[in-house]
Amino acid sequence: MGVDRRMNFGIVVFPGSNCDRDCYYVIKEILNQPVRFIWHQETDLNGIDCVILPGGFSYGDYLRAGAIARFSPVMSEVKEFADRGGLIVGICNGFQILTEAGLLPGALGRNKGLKFICRYVSLRVERNDTPFTTEYRRGDIIRMPIAHNEGNYYIDNPDKIRNQVVLRYYGENPNGAIDDIAGIVNERGNVFGLMPHPERCSEKILGSEDGLKIFKSIVRAL
Amino acid sequence: MKKVKLIYEGKAKRVYSTEEDDKFIIEFKDSATAFDGLKKAEIQGKGEANCAISSKIFELLTIKGVRNHYIERLNEREMLVRSVKIFPIEVIIRNRVAGSMAKRLGLEEGRKLEKPILEFCYKSDELHDPMINEDHISALGLASPEELITIKDMSLKTNQILIEFFKLCHLDLVDMKFEFGKDSSGEIYLADEISPDTCRLWELGTTESWDKDRFRRDLGGVEEAYNEVKKRVLETPVESKTRILIRLKQGILDAQGSVILNALKSLGFNEVLEVRVGKLLEIKLDRKVDEAGRIERMCRELLANPVMEDYEWEWIEE
Repeated sequence: MGVDRRMNFGIVVFPGSNCDRDCYYVIKEILNQPVRFIWHQETDLNGIDCVILPGGFSYGDYLRAGAIARFSPVMSEVKEFADRGGLIVGICNGFQILTEAGLLPGALGRNKGLKFICRYVSLRVERNDTPFTTEYRRGDIIRMPIAHNEGNYYIDNPDKIRNQVVLRYYGENPNGAIDDIAGIVNERGNVFGLMPHPERCSEKILGSEDGLKIFKSIVRAL
Repeated sequence: MKKVKLIYEGKAKRVYSTEEDDKFIIEFKDSATAFDGLKKAEIQGKGEANCAISSKIFELLTIKGVRNHYIERLNEREMLVRSVKIFPIEVIIRNRVAGSMAKRLGLEEGRKLEKPILEFCYKSDELHDPMINEDHISALGLASPEELITIKDMSLKTNQILIEFFKLCHLDLVDMKFEFGKDSSGEIYLADEISPDTCRLWELGTTESWDKDRFRRDLGGVEEAYNEVKKRVLETPVESKTRILIRLKQGILDAQGSVILNALKSLGFNEVLEVRVGKLLEIKLDRKVDEAGRIERMCRELLANPVMEDYEWEWIEE
């Protein structure tokens, strides 16, 4: 990866987002890429190449996780950005928002065990031909932490999105997600949602660097 | 929905059959008569006013749980209603002494009655709608005793609802006339219209008429009165409540439901086969009925996630 690559990241901050600073840190301090926060009431995505919807509890998860955040002013811009082919990553609550907003298919329901789960899980990389996963090899088994109460991915017809699955839980399915789905892209391949937190495993000192490749892949996609 | 055939023409309305057997169209006319047709006139805008007033009041009654024949307003002068067979009885309900009661009993108009009075008249133009009692009704088979009980209950309930509603319009509901009908399955519906033609409405706290008495008694300002009542009725918000139930779709594992099922079984409730947990929302609105489609939209666009949840909703009757 060349040092002269400059990928402009924008991290959307909703009331209740709490992984926004972690993402910012990884992009700014580890990858040395330009990044700025985008308050949910802003509507200016000018100059942004990749939008990140971070994890957290936007609007307290009222009604359903992600259900209210989808009406934030920034979201109509995010939709247009997706239509123009811009890269979007939704992590955890960000994934929930993307499904609620209709930018990704399916929905995230309550964990099968009814508990909030916060621990490392094993994942299998199903696709490395997306702008978010080129740094992996297909079939790689990686480890990332999850931290969610609603990660039980559901879609009425999983066959329809079989080719859009990017990450699957490997070994054990922690939340009951259909077909072990942990992360998917849209048909066009420019919108990615995943329940695990790559920003929490992007430095050796934190126990794993497996997540960093997601951000590196995005930079490389430029 | 198209009008097919004129099946009845009265003093103030025409009733048409439609392409569907169970629906009629009522057209409100501007003409008015009083004193058994001795006095006649055209009142500009009366048809439109009565159509609008009746529609809004029937919508209110539907929210409050009074079954009535109204389905929807089609245009300025026409409403679509359920086709019912009208009982040959006029029901009059009185909250204050006025009109024929004052004359008959030599009482002063305006006296507040201790409780509402129900009167019945036999619908017959030739006989000038003579007053009858409950024995006449059952002995002559005009309505069965059970039907009469329903009619009386519905009349009293409607009266109570409309006293409150008209108070919000700053109007005093002095008395009014109802007609009832039944459908092919025997279900009883409040029918006809509810308007200044069928209600005596006074400015609250006075004896100033805002109804057909302005025409009957040559008080002037007849058109203005109908329009004023229309304006007040339409401007008065009708609060309604809806209850929305959201549940996971059948076939999706309801983990909470399974845990509760197990807990119930461990308490010895072995008869429990399945538990589904849902969300119940109660929403208060400032209007209703013609806006029903909007509740569907609220469910689809926000309240339920259609990927994994089903919803159902109903009006809460008070």
